Amino acid sequence: MDNVVTKSKDVTVLEILDRVLDKGVVISGDVIISVADVDLIYLGLKVLLSSVETMEKLRGTPFVGPMQEPT
Amino acid sequence: MNFKDTQRLPAKQSLKMQSAEKQLIYLYCVTAASPTLKEAVKLASDLYFVYSVDLYAIVSKVAESEFGEESLKANMADLEWVKTKISLHEKVIEAVMTNTCVIPFKFATLFSTEESLKAMLTKYAEEFKAILEKLKNKEEWGVKIYCDTGRLRQSLANNNPELLEIGNKIGSSSVGTAYFLKKKKDELIKDMLNNKISECGQESFELLKELSVEACLNKLLPKEVTEREEDMVLNSAFLVNKLEVDDFINMVDNLRMNCEGQGFSFDCTGPWPPYNFCRLPKEKTQSG
Repeated sequence: MDNVVTKSKDVTVLEILDRVLDKGVVISGDVIISVADVDLIYLGLKVLLSSVETMEKLRGTPFVGPMQEPT
Repeated sequence: MNFKDTQRLPAKQSLKMQSAEKQLIYLYCVTAASPTLKEAVKLASDLYFVYSVDLYAIVSKVAESEFGEESLKANMADLEWVKTKISLHEKVIEAVMTNTCVIPFKFATLFSTEESLKAMLTKYAEEFKAILEKLKNKEEWGVKIYCDTGRLRQSLANNNPELLEIGNKIGSSSVGTAYFLKKKKDELIKDMLNNKISECGQESFELLKELSVEACLNKLLPKEVTEREEDMVLNSAFLVNKLEVDDFINMVDNLRMNCEGQGFSFDCTGPWPPYNFCRLPKEKTQSG
């Protein structure tokens, strides 16, 4: 039978990111990374950026009109 | 593009350069007992601890040119840098926690001086001590459940009598009726899928919660982040008594065996530094 348990040595970067970036004690040190930056890393980490670009392009189609509403 | 590569400083800078450059203090974790840094030092040679108010802060000096606010922002966009640094953060804390209970801090918690670090320790001393007391003899374990929705849908469509009946009716109906029946069938499948997923996720969470001291549900990560075909349907963490870890893992195994035929898969990882179980009381962080 396979063992379902993964020792932390073998865990993926994702597992680490999922904890290290937005868990753990958060206090205001002297240098602060904002939560927004954390989300950016999630975005940057994977191919999401390309799909975001595609979405931006789609929003720019003539049907939307020149005045884009902020989302 | 034809830009010349800007010259980069080598990762290991000479001592002379270090002394010339402004440094910040990077905090990994806090312990109540004197930490053994023998293993951790192998990962980060400049690791040391700062002692104050009966607490030990495990820290290292980092260059402001790497971790200062502006540099940090730029470096956070460099995924290789992020991967290396978060892995180091995790490994250092893991090395420290083999000998004693730790409060892990968020990645890149930085102080400009030892005085400001000590001031922080003093400010939260009572809270940190209470958290460390609570964490004694316990481990954090993570359980994520993924669902192969296609497989689950197929297993429902093949086995559910109600769906099979509608399927038969569709075959013998006019085009118009078949269209509406198909729509009805799709909606039924959707409901059943959702029920099945929340049943598996919720039941697993509740059963594992009973075997742990504390449990917490985290937000589900999208496929773009997990890079898996399946959807994440549960992202949870548990604080488990060390003596009960075997029971906990056995339960995960049982749940997996019950659910995997339907397209669910389980990821159980640990022991982790207790990232999910060391929150400070809200009032204090807000007012402070």
